[in-house]
Amino acid sequence: MRGLGRLAWRTLRARPLRALLTAAGVGLGVAVLLASLATTRGIDAAIDRTVADLVGRAEVRVSAFREGGLTPLAIDVIRGTEGVAVVSPELERRTFLAPPPGASGPSDPVTLLGIEPSTHRRVHDLVLVAGASLSRMDEPSALVTERLAEQDGYVLGGELTLQGAGAPVRVRIVGLIAGGGPFVGSAGRTVIVPLDLARGVVGIDGVTRADVLLEPGAGVAEVLERLSLRLVSEPYVVATPRDLAATLHASTQDVQSTIALIAVIALFVGAFLIFNSLSMTVAERAREVGLLRAAGATRGQVVRFVLSGAIAIGLFGSALGVLAGLGLARAMAAFVGSLRGFPAERLESDPSAILVAFSVGVLVTVAAALEPAVRASRISPVEALRARLDLAPARRARLLWLVYMFALVALVGLLAWPPTAGNVGAGRALAVYAALLAAVLVSPLLLPGLARLVGLPIGVLLRLEERLARGSMARDRSRTALTLGALTVGLAMVVALGWSAQGAKAAASAWLADVIPGDEVVTSIRPLPADEGVAEVLAAVPGVLRVSPIATFNLASHGQRLDGAAVSGADLAADGRLRIVAGDRAAALAALDAGGAAIVPLATADRLGLGLGDRLDVAALDGTTLSLSVVAIAERSIPGQSGESVLVGWADATDRLGVAGADFFAVRFEPEASGSERSELEAAARSLALEPNPLSRVQGAVTAALGRVYGLFDALALVAVLVAALGIVNALAMSVIERIRELGVLRAIGMSRRQASRMVVVEATVIGIVGSVFGAATGLTVGAILLLLGGVAFETAGLPWASLATAAVLGIAVSVVAAWWPARVASRVSIVAALSFE
Amino acid sequence: MTTILEARDLTKRYRLGETTVDALRGVTLAVAAGEFVALMGPSGSGKSTLLQILGGLDQPTGGEVIFEGHDISRLSDDEATRLRRERTGFVFQAFNLIPLLDVRENVGLPFTIAGVDPSRGDAKRRIAEVISLVELTGKERHRPDQLSAGEQQRVAVARALLTRPAIILADEPTGNLDFTTGGDILHALWRTCDADGQTVVLVTHDAKAAAYADRVLVIEDGRILEEIALGRRVDHAAAPLIARLAAIGL
Repeated sequence: MRGLGRLAWRTLRARPLRALLTAAGVGLGVAVLLASLATTRGIDAAIDRTVADLVGRAEVRVSAFREGGLTPLAIDVIRGTEGVAVVSPELERRTFLAPPPGASGPSDPVTLLGIEPSTHRRVHDLVLVAGASLSRMDEPSALVTERLAEQDGYVLGGELTLQGAGAPVRVRIVGLIAGGGPFVGSAGRTVIVPLDLARGVVGIDGVTRADVLLEPGAGVAEVLERLSLRLVSEPYVVATPRDLAATLHASTQDVQSTIALIAVIALFVGAFLIFNSLSMTVAERAREVGLLRAAGATRGQVVRFVLSGAIAIGLFGSALGVLAGLGLARAMAAFVGSLRGFPAERLESDPSAILVAFSVGVLVTVAAALEPAVRASRISPVEALRARLDLAPARRARLLWLVYMFALVALVGLLAWPPTAGNVGAGRALAVYAALLAAVLVSPLLLPGLARLVGLPIGVLLRLEERLARGSMARDRSRTALTLGALTVGLAMVVALGWSAQGAKAAASAWLADVIPGDEVVTSIRPLPADEGVAEVLAAVPGVLRVSPIATFNLASHGQRLDGAAVSGADLAADGRLRIVAGDRAAALAALDAGGAAIVPLATADRLGLGLGDRLDVAALDGTTLSLSVVAIAERSIPGQSGESVLVGWADATDRLGVAGADFFAVRFEPEASGSERSELEAAARSLALEPNPLSRVQGAVTAALGRVYGLFDALALVAVLVAALGIVNALAMSVIERIRELGVLRAIGMSRRQASRMVVVEATVIGIVGSVFGAATGLTVGAILLLLGGVAFETAGLPWASLATAAVLGIAVSVVAAWWPARVASRVSIVAALSFE
Repeated sequence: MTTILEARDLTKRYRLGETTVDALRGVTLAVAAGEFVALMGPSGSGKSTLLQILGGLDQPTGGEVIFEGHDISRLSDDEATRLRRERTGFVFQAFNLIPLLDVRENVGLPFTIAGVDPSRGDAKRRIAEVISLVELTGKERHRPDQLSAGEQQRVAVARALLTRPAIILADEPTGNLDFTTGGDILHALWRTCDADGQTVVLVTHDAKAAAYADRVLVIEDGRILEEIALGRRVDHAAAPLIARLAAIGL
């Protein structure tokens, strides 16, 4: 076998470019797979680190439900509970700092964190790069994050001024926390002060949460049981580190599952390339194989002969893929880490992902090579050695192989599927995958007719080239179909993801426009009670039609946390916002203002099994239960922390649920309001330390964030298109080699180099156009699946014209570029050598 | 008779790895218009190389080829392509038809390559004419795999004649055919020469094929060894040629 092994190696070396192209195809698939695994595992690890940073050594986190926070009494109760060792209370609020001297204007808000220094250091670790920690509760000192210090020009020993409920409070900076600090959602701008000082700034006695360290040996469940019996005076939410991690994982599931899906597809497309390439090699080497068999090689030796070449390509390609994948993983980590809301500021790659990706690359290569190897072993020596060779079995690939490879890659995908990407994501991926396979299986049936149609306009100008190109495509239908199939899959993903992105952005924009009763959103970092008159001040600005206060808060219902929002029913009715799917709109909105009523978003109603007229019992401020009647079900509702909010009236919110005031105001302008009136409102808002933003800007920020995420998916989908392009290069190159003799004759009777080159380019163009058509049709099908499963209506999403145009241009451009080298070979064929080619 | 094609001291050298091969070592010849000349020699004698250079498919290492008064030995690729398209016709040993094109399309290829629509007007008539000339009328729609070996070669001859080339160059056109079929092809070539004044240069290793020629140039080891004038004959008996070859020890 050593001799045949050497021959296999020489066979590879005889066609270095083809071997390299095939290895590159394997490499690209492995690179995307590695980057995907590394990114998803990196996200998981980052989430674990984030949770560890958030809760430190605490085993339980008790969070307040009310605006006013957990009372000192509640903290005492927690402290006194058996099994509790340390309780570290924290008060967290967003606020503004007074601009430092010399600053041009107000800076971005910061997160104010009040801590009890003595207990905080027993539960949490703060990494300081300079200065010292806080030590006393009464010192007017602060720690700031390095990022905040850099951005706003603060230095150790300097001072900053906190703005809040009362008079501004000046503190001295005694320490700098490394980087952006271990805080989520603060954009790295955090100021830490003693708890009492923070209470004074915010103007409340309560705390946002208490992180609890248990006695050694104390069980979490038992301690929580005891706490539930003792702490009955106010509502609270309990979470363990695992609960927090689960919440963060849930928010990243969609991204992880989409990245994993694209990786599997890239691998699938890579498998096409390997199969096609090895099939071509078998066809080309049929005579050689026939000689080997005539000389006594067994079928098994022939199989091993072909497989050894494939293994060499697999090993080399997978190694290349690992190197490329590490770079891609780094780029993806940086990108994902920059996405707001992603707990991945310090994403790192996972070494075990390298082993998995490498092994999968080799496995898929060998699997893809099996059929060509077995086919080669069945070539009869007599047939192979005939003067005029036309080996149908050697030249025709079996499309049935596609189904086997599909199953294999799907299995590999399922085994390597990140568990945190969720079963819903896996189901969606399988549905998409099946749609792609169906398209690839159907395309060979439609190819001849479509190629003829597409060739008609080309044939008007380039009759001979089109005729010969069409003939070349028909020469080996299976090879053409597989080449086309790979391109179809890549382009389909571009269209599908584009449509999905368009739908998601449209849905997000529509959502906000449907539920926010205003053109402008004016946000406060602290709740503003009605008696402060902020709404009246804003309403007095010329051009303002209506100012509607809205507050978002937590609701507790039968142990579950729900998002709640306090709204004015009259304002929503007057503004025409909110689409009601069950119940009378006018009556429902009036009932909100009257009290004792709730409007529930459809998703929440489905989840809780609530219907029109049902009762929704929520925990009230005084420890009793507030029973709300479900007066309507809305299609969408105001966004909350983790979903959509249950809407209640202001009376219930302030009187029974402890809502202190509005978090933001929705401002509707008169239809004829000018830009100057808008500017006047914004100035008025800023003068009240409020942050104004046009709704369009908020929508833009949401769609921009979505756009960035989908941009990552598009970049990955392009890898599949690139692999398909390599397949086209391979197929066209083989087509040129098969027709060398023909090319020699054509050149001998007067075909110019340019015409020879054009013949190949025309073939590529036809493949590109047909691939674009199939890709568009398949992409629309897959996109429809993604939209349906994502709950986005088609009329909201609209048709993805931009993505369709992109796919069309990409398909043709990629094919034409892929034809460059084979066309060059065709044009440079030595006539003399071609005529004597066998 | 006017000289249509002339070779002056042609040499051709190839590098094959470490070795240098002198395929032609100073060949000088002239072909008159309307003449049928055979280049005859054993395998590896350089006859095919000589034909390729004479037809502009390749360039000599040294020497000149004068065709219709112009030096064609150093043409650019575009010029050589134009020459092949307009002034020469080739017939090769292996039939070299395009498998997916039918007889009419294969014959009409030179027109198609030149951008002339072969389905209309004079082009259409000419195609029909040459198909008739090679006695394949009625098989215009047949593809190569539906024709016999001899018929395929007749298609190749028809294609070579299509543009009324100044010269037809045939490289072992009967090499893959049996004696009778090969004879038909040679007879077709001779007929064009005799009836229409077509100039033909034929490469062959077979004396029976060479016997159709007016003049035979014997090539060995890259040189013209002998020139045997047979004259224009209706019967193409090979005996006189064989006798002359025997006399010179071949």
